[in-house]
Amino acid sequence: MPPPIIHFDHATFGFPGVVALEDISLEIQSGEFVGVIGPNGSGKTTLCRAVLGLMAPMKGHLNIFDCACDELRCHHRARIGYLPQKGVVDRNFPVTVLETVMMGRYGTLGLFARPSGKDRKIALDSLAHVGMEGYRDSALGHLSGGQQQRVFIARALAQQPDVLLLDEPTTGLDITTQHNVIELVQHLHEELGLTVLLITHDINMIRSRVDRLVLLKTRLYAAGPPADVLKPEILSQVYGKDLVITEKDLVIVEDYHHHH
Amino acid sequence: MLELFTYDFMQRSLLAAAMVGGLCSLIGVFVVLRGLAFMGAGTAHAAFAGVALGYLMGWPPLLMAILFGLATVWVTGWVEEKGRMKLDVSIGILYTATMALAILFIGLMKTYNAEIYGYLFGNVLAVTSEELGIIAGLSIVVIGAIVLFSKELYFIAFDQEMAEASGVPARRIFFLLLTLIALTVVISLKTVGAILVFAMILIPASTAYQLTHSLSTLTWYSVLIGITCSVGGVLISSYWDIPSGPAIVLLATVLFFVAVIFSPKRQRQSLAAT
Repeated sequence: MPPPIIHFDHATFGFPGVVALEDISLEIQSGEFVGVIGPNGSGKTTLCRAVLGLMAPMKGHLNIFDCACDELRCHHRARIGYLPQKGVVDRNFPVTVLETVMMGRYGTLGLFARPSGKDRKIALDSLAHVGMEGYRDSALGHLSGGQQQRVFIARALAQQPDVLLLDEPTTGLDITTQHNVIELVQHLHEELGLTVLLITHDINMIRSRVDRLVLLKTRLYAAGPPADVLKPEILSQVYGKDLVITEKDLVIVEDYHHHH
Repeated sequence: MLELFTYDFMQRSLLAAAMVGGLCSLIGVFVVLRGLAFMGAGTAHAAFAGVALGYLMGWPPLLMAILFGLATVWVTGWVEEKGRMKLDVSIGILYTATMALAILFIGLMKTYNAEIYGYLFGNVLAVTSEELGIIAGLSIVVIGAIVLFSKELYFIAFDQEMAEASGVPARRIFFLLLTLIALTVVISLKTVGAILVFAMILIPASTAYQLTHSLSTLTWYSVLIGITCSVGGVLISSYWDIPSGPAIVLLATVLFFVAVIFSPKRQRQSLAAT
C-alpha cells in the first residue's frame, strides 16, 4: 500500500486550556471518499482546519502529502480544495461567478504570477464540472444557496486539488438541493479521482456513498466502512439518547435541540 | 475659465488632485470591500498627530505622519487578528487618543503655526513642486504594490480565511493592505487634509459599489469617479474661490447619492419586492 496522503499520528489539537481533538490517529489513502461524522462541537471543523494547516498539533504529528512538517506551507495548502461551512455571503458583494472561481487559481499561481488564459480555461472547466457554466457573468449574490455552493465547489476544483475538503456542504439547503450537492461530490470523486473528506452531521445523506466513516467526539471513536461504524453500540457512545434506530435498521441521528 | 490652466500652480494642483484622487479611490476599493472604513479615519487622525509632533520637535512632519500612521494600522490589525477586542472599539480608542495627542502637541507650541492647519484641512492649490514630487513618488510605490498583489488583495477582501486556506499568505497581504492604507492617507494629507482624506478613500468606491456586480468593473469605476471628483472639485474651488477639500468631497458626496438613487442593484431589489 502506498503511503497515506493524510496521516494523523496521535495528534492533539486545541487552544491553551481547551482540547478540541485528542489523540487522533488516522490514515487516509489517495482516492478515498471519507465521511467525518459526529455531534455538534465534536471537533469536526477543527479536523478541517488541521488538514488545511491552519492549526498545528499541540501533541503528536500530522503529515500531509509528502510534507513532514506539522504546519503546512502555503504551497501544500493549494493542493487541498476547501469548501468552508456556509457562512453568510454578503448578497451585495460585487463579485461575478467567474471572478469567484478564478480566486481558486490564486493560491496555486503563487505571488507575483498573473492569471493567464490557461487559468481562465481551468476556471471555466471547473464551472462546467458543477453545471454552472451558463452563469459565469452573473452576480454571485443573485444565485440561490445551492447554486452558490456549486460555485464554491467550482472554486475548490479550480485549484486542481488532490484533496477535496467539504465542511457541512449541505447545511441550510433544501432536501432536493442537499441530495444534488452530495451527488455532485460523489460524481467528482469518481470522475476526477479526488480524495474527498466530507464533514457532516447528516449520516443518512452519505452512508451509502462513502468508502469509510470516521466517528468523532473529541476522540476518534471509530473509523471504517459504514456497516462497521453504524452499529448501535458504537454510535450510542457518541450520541447517547439522541440516537434512534428504526425497524428497518435505518440509523437516524436527530439533532436533540430541534425536537425538545 | 480656460486661462486657469495656464497658471503653474493650477497645473500642479490639478495633477496633484488627479493623483491623490486616483490613489485614494483605488485603495478605497479594498478598504470598502474588506470592511476597514473606520480604520482609515483613525489612521488620518494618527497621521495628523505625527505632523503636529514633527512641527513641535522640528522633525520632518511627513516622516512622522508615516510613522504614526503605520503604528496605528499595525496595532489595530494586530488587535483584530488576535481577536482581543472588537475592531471598532480599538480603532475608536486610537482615533481619539491620537487626536488628543495632536491637540496636546499643538498646545505645547509657543507660537501659532498656520502650516499645521494646512494638514488638517488641506489645500491642493498650495501644493509645491517638491510636494508634487513626493506625491508622485509615493503614489507609484503604492499603486505598484496594489497592481503587483491585486489578486491576493481581492481574495482577502472577499474572504480572508478562504484565501488563507487555499494557499494565499493572507496575513501578510492583510498587513500589506494596512500599510498601503497608511501611506495613502499620508500622501493625501497636504491636499485634502486629515479630516477629509477619508471621504476620498470611502466615497468613490462606495459609489462604484452601487453600480456594478463585478470586482474589476468596480475598481475601474471607482478610480474614474475618484479622479473626476478630485479634478472637478479643484476646478470648482478655483472658479468660485471656495476651499478645495470641501469642494472635492461634496462633489463626490453628491455623486454618491445620485448613484444610490439610480443604482441598478436597488432597482432590482425593489422589482423583486413587488
